[in-house]
Amino acid sequence: MASQTISRRTLLKSVSGATIGLPLLEEMLAHRAQAAPVKPVPVRAFNIFFGLGIPAPLQQEGFDGVLEPLKPLSRKLLIMRQVDQLRCDKKGMNAHYDGAAGAFTAEAPEGEARSGGPSIDQVIRQAHYPKGLPTGIVPSLVAGTFFRRSRVCRYVHSYGMDGTVAGTMQERPRHLFDRVFGTVALASDDRDVRTQRLRRSVLDSVIEDYRFYTGDNSPLGAASKARVAEHLERVRELELRAFALKDSQRNGPALPPRSHIPHDGPADPGGQGIDITLDDLTTEWRLMADLYALSIQMDRVRFGSLTFLAAGERIRLKGDYEYAGRKIWQFDDAGQQNATGDKGCSHEWWHKFNEKQKNEALRAHAHMKMRELAYFLQKLDGPESQEANGKTVLENSLITISTESGDGRHNDVKRELSGVFHAITGANGRFKTGQIMDVGAEGLDVYNTMLAGMGATKRLGPDKRDFKSVDSIRS
Amino acid sequence: MTLHRSRSIAFRILTAVCILLCARILPGEAAKPQRVTRDLQTLYTFDATDGDVIRDRSGASPQLDLKIDKLSAVQWRGDALAVNSSVTIASVAPATKIIQATRRSNEVTIEAWIRPANLKQDGPARIASLSVDTGQRNFTLGQNGNHYEVRLRTSSTSTNGIPAVATPDNTATQALTHVVYTRDAAGNVVVYTDARPKVSTKIAGQFSNWDNGYRLALANELTGDRPWLGELHLVAIYNRALTSREIEQNFHSGPAASAKPATDSGKRLFEEQIAGLLATQCLECHDTLTHKSGLDLSRKQTALAGGENGAAIVPGKPADSLLWQFVESNEMPRNRTALPDSQKKLLREWIESGASWSLDVIDPVVYQYADHASENWIRRLTVPEYIETVRGTVGVDIEKEAHELLPADLRADGFRNTAYNLGIDLKHVESYARLARIIVERMDVLKFVGQFSKDQTLNTDATTRKIVADMGKWILRGPLDDREVTNYSGIATSVASAGGSFEEGMRYLLEAMLQSPRFIYRMEDQRGSGVVSVSGFELASRLSYIIWGGPPDADLLKVAESGDLNDLSKTEVQVQRMLKDPRAVRQSQRFISEWLNLGRLANMQPDQKRFPGWSNELASDMQNETLEFFKQVVWEEQRPLPQLLNAQFTYATPRLAKHYGLKPAGDGLERYDLSGVQSRGGLLTQGSVLTIGGDDASMVTRGLFVLHELLRGVVKDPPPDVNTTPPATRTGLTQRGIAASRIADSNCGGCHARFEPLAFGLEKFDGTGVFHEQDEHGNKLREDGEILIPGTGKPVAYQTSAELMNLLAESDRVKESITWKVAQFAVGRPLGAADVPVLKQIHQQAQKNGGTWTSTLTAIVMSDLVQTTRIRD
Repeated sequence: MASQTISRRTLLKSVSGATIGLPLLEEMLAHRAQAAPVKPVPVRAFNIFFGLGIPAPLQQEGFDGVLEPLKPLSRKLLIMRQVDQLRCDKKGMNAHYDGAAGAFTAEAPEGEARSGGPSIDQVIRQAHYPKGLPTGIVPSLVAGTFFRRSRVCRYVHSYGMDGTVAGTMQERPRHLFDRVFGTVALASDDRDVRTQRLRRSVLDSVIEDYRFYTGDNSPLGAASKARVAEHLERVRELELRAFALKDSQRNGPALPPRSHIPHDGPADPGGQGIDITLDDLTTEWRLMADLYALSIQMDRVRFGSLTFLAAGERIRLKGDYEYAGRKIWQFDDAGQQNATGDKGCSHEWWHKFNEKQKNEALRAHAHMKMRELAYFLQKLDGPESQEANGKTVLENSLITISTESGDGRHNDVKRELSGVFHAITGANGRFKTGQIMDVGAEGLDVYNTMLAGMGATKRLGPDKRDFKSVDSIRS
Repeated sequence: MTLHRSRSIAFRILTAVCILLCARILPGEAAKPQRVTRDLQTLYTFDATDGDVIRDRSGASPQLDLKIDKLSAVQWRGDALAVNSSVTIASVAPATKIIQATRRSNEVTIEAWIRPANLKQDGPARIASLSVDTGQRNFTLGQNGNHYEVRLRTSSTSTNGIPAVATPDNTATQALTHVVYTRDAAGNVVVYTDARPKVSTKIAGQFSNWDNGYRLALANELTGDRPWLGELHLVAIYNRALTSREIEQNFHSGPAASAKPATDSGKRLFEEQIAGLLATQCLECHDTLTHKSGLDLSRKQTALAGGENGAAIVPGKPADSLLWQFVESNEMPRNRTALPDSQKKLLREWIESGASWSLDVIDPVVYQYADHASENWIRRLTVPEYIETVRGTVGVDIEKEAHELLPADLRADGFRNTAYNLGIDLKHVESYARLARIIVERMDVLKFVGQFSKDQTLNTDATTRKIVADMGKWILRGPLDDREVTNYSGIATSVASAGGSFEEGMRYLLEAMLQSPRFIYRMEDQRGSGVVSVSGFELASRLSYIIWGGPPDADLLKVAESGDLNDLSKTEVQVQRMLKDPRAVRQSQRFISEWLNLGRLANMQPDQKRFPGWSNELASDMQNETLEFFKQVVWEEQRPLPQLLNAQFTYATPRLAKHYGLKPAGDGLERYDLSGVQSRGGLLTQGSVLTIGGDDASMVTRGLFVLHELLRGVVKDPPPDVNTTPPATRTGLTQRGIAASRIADSNCGGCHARFEPLAFGLEKFDGTGVFHEQDEHGNKLREDGEILIPGTGKPVAYQTSAELMNLLAESDRVKESITWKVAQFAVGRPLGAADVPVLKQIHQQAQKNGGTWTSTLTAIVMSDLVQTTRIRD
């Protein structure tokens, strides 16, 4: 990367036609300077989630089946089959929700918005950046395109050490943009030096007060202290955005176009699902994927999660689906199921899965999801993503892809939460790639092996549990 | 700790009655009242007969035992320890629990039953001292000749606790005497002997400068040179100023009385470990309904009776207990992961120790999640709370901007105010800063500040500090300490040095306070261990945010400052006052709105072909119907809350009335008498609830709603090998028919029988709440069914929807569930096993007073759930 020249304003063009200007930031300038020292490749970990899963029998078909879109990246991925998440089953809880909360944590949920433990990205973050990330880096970026919102764990896939969400979900491209690249105007007249100084004084006092509550004399207990510490971190970030980064971001990326698909409450009409076209869905998702990838490339983000459709997702998709020049399927979930509301949603194809049948609609949905995930992964594998060690961001990072179930039917925990699809990247040579491996291990052991490989000493799951290292995945 | 847990409203009332009855009876003459245990930190009763250790019998952990360094100087007398010559009786380690708890409350009570050996000893001679030497102490209770003297360190006294407070001459005698020193948060000091106040004065300041390293000593200074001689009968220390009534209670309890015995360890093991283990591992197959092999492990009687195979539990004999045998051999839980060794060990220990069983029935819902009762998350203000707080504090309506700028709070465990999920992101912080600017721009700053100071100069340190302190106390809902005053005064100094005006300085100061942690969060002191009472200002905030969803008003803060919130009767006066305020109505409507997730209506998009009459306006009418109906039942008619389920009236617009098949009346939201309308009446027959089943009016969704929200039931996941997509209705097959086939299916019926029949009574209502006698295929619809209350084995049949509503409204389980829901909303966290005892008391108290919203909320805020904080040891 040191010898690679990046133009001042590279343009990333998404298929949606939205153009995002790559900003001029100090990090980029440093890359251009021939005499500048080579920056070490940072430790990064991201969780990529997709809803509804890939039934285990279909995983067996490898790249000949629904995994086909991942084939171009096969050398850089380790696809893991037979990863069991049985311990994530929580009696009395919805199976979609159980599986989703267990993805990347390997534990059952502990509430509607709380996982049973931290997610792998956050454990790695804690291990490598115990005192916080370098200035200017968003601590954890949680984003996604999804339409099922009844419980937070369905769509948030990054959890802090206390099991609460690691960051606010950014579900609109503009919000993600603001979170990563936005600047803060604390005053309309903040160009006035005097005003700026006084406003700093206000912020200093506020920071001082928050700092007290995180210190040794704080009257707060551990959970509360951690929350105030989080607040303090955000105030400092605000300070940085308001005063320090302003000039450096003047040439930042252009504001992405306004989203046209439903968000927030309208995105989930009481679990009944929404009508959406394939074009609208992928346009929105790819804009998110572009921005998320850009955030990583710009070293604004090192940890977090990205969600493409939530657990138990309910959409009624319409549109022609083509891949590599051939028509795969014509999506018409409601029409093909002759149903309205939730019964006309794609979710029902998973309930109807039967390995003795063709499962064409399910296959098409799963294939399309893999295509969209591959779109994001490829963004991190192109020339723009080359790093100092000659590898790409994709190769250097630990990216874990997973989902909620090994089978769509909520009929048998042993089947539903067995064989949950997983794929990981090599994390700069720490893990094997270029294989489809039948791991045959519990998710907890797989994740803990990944944590060990990433140099984290903390292990997920019960303290007294014997850790069975899955050495086969380590390089 | 366990002693605190046992505190109850009933107990307090009983105690008060006892005190009134016994007020003029001397110790030993009649049945003695129980000693006050609330906020007791340490208690020594001296009833041992030998040894060099004096045990702390307070039950508050960690135990703070005292060691006698020279046994020859003392004599055990069975009911007292006679100190005959100089000796050191002291804790080995610093008295951290006393120091932390007392610093936290800024209040203290030092109590002693003593008999001085003479009236000459002085120094003062140390009776009880938390100190290090003769010149440095947190407090000392001593005797100086013929009177008592107390030294207390505060930010306004010296490190030696000077000036001291002394009782009048001749208050110390050689008789057995009850000496009590109290100091409340407002600085009021009273010293009593034999329950009579002997001196009242004021010692200002905070305990913030208390030394954390001091040990507790009796009968001497730690340096050994201020001996006190005489008999020690009892010494107790509270982190609260006891009221005169409580002091009278302890006086009448006498010197030999001890606090309530600690909870039996077997009971504790059962309630804290075993009940949860049985609930999560066994009841799936062995509850009252399922009782496989004839074994019901949910109740004591049936569990001990055993099943078809014999005795499941033989107290004291694990080897003879089938439960243990099956668990040990991993035969049970069947088809599930074996119990980990740690749980097996607990189970064995429990049976060995006699299989104590203290609950009526094990309620699985209580154990669904790990117990979060001891997790103390500070609570960020929710968006509605922030809006109310700004309005209540500075009189600015910021509703529109707050909703625009602040990220919405997400629903977790049924409510949006669940503390653990009230996280923080950059957007919050940025919005708080922007909102602070907008708020201050809208304020008449000089007029606002004028409430706190007539002086409008910015460059006098003392003046600025006073303004910061006074204004801060109001904005931040309690007094500021020196650190805070100094910190915020710095802003004014910066403005002054930049040549700014007083008004400009106040603007920036207000902006800072509006972003400060104590404004954005409900800050509480979470130090210490066990169950501790919250301070007056903390309680004021708890009361106001629970009852109003906003900050305390001036009256409430004044009462908090006076220390009167320590007095339950005075607290209740405030509660009743607050419940008469319109803010209480708005807060109750937030509850119903969140509980029933009424916001969902605005996003509904039923299929237009099937439901052409649906519109956003109709959805809004449904929401308004429920809110107005709730207001009428709860506030206007003050009915018991379960009548929300069967009250025979509703409110509708002409549009909604038409939708319901009622004859439209008036132009807007009008009341409709439903006494002649068989099909409707109560929340479950309103569109806002009926729409939860979606276009197909899912019986599963509706049934689960009743099961989860009204009956607190738990069901397991769908069973193996079944397509969970139901077939479509058709001629000859109704939703009920589909449900019936699920119930009849051996794989599904075990669970579906628990909840689908709950929805049978709603079968005639379609997905948007329209009433039909026939479905779209011409199938005749029914409304009969049966209801199974969790924990019971026999379903109760009903013939009509109205009967179902009556059954629900009259069910004790439903009544209890409503109390639980209100309590969860009040405390902002899911409720767990540790909350069950106090929830029972709350429910009983609420029902006793009519089961209305006001009685329920009163019982909640007067209970330990709100009056105390449980801190994990």
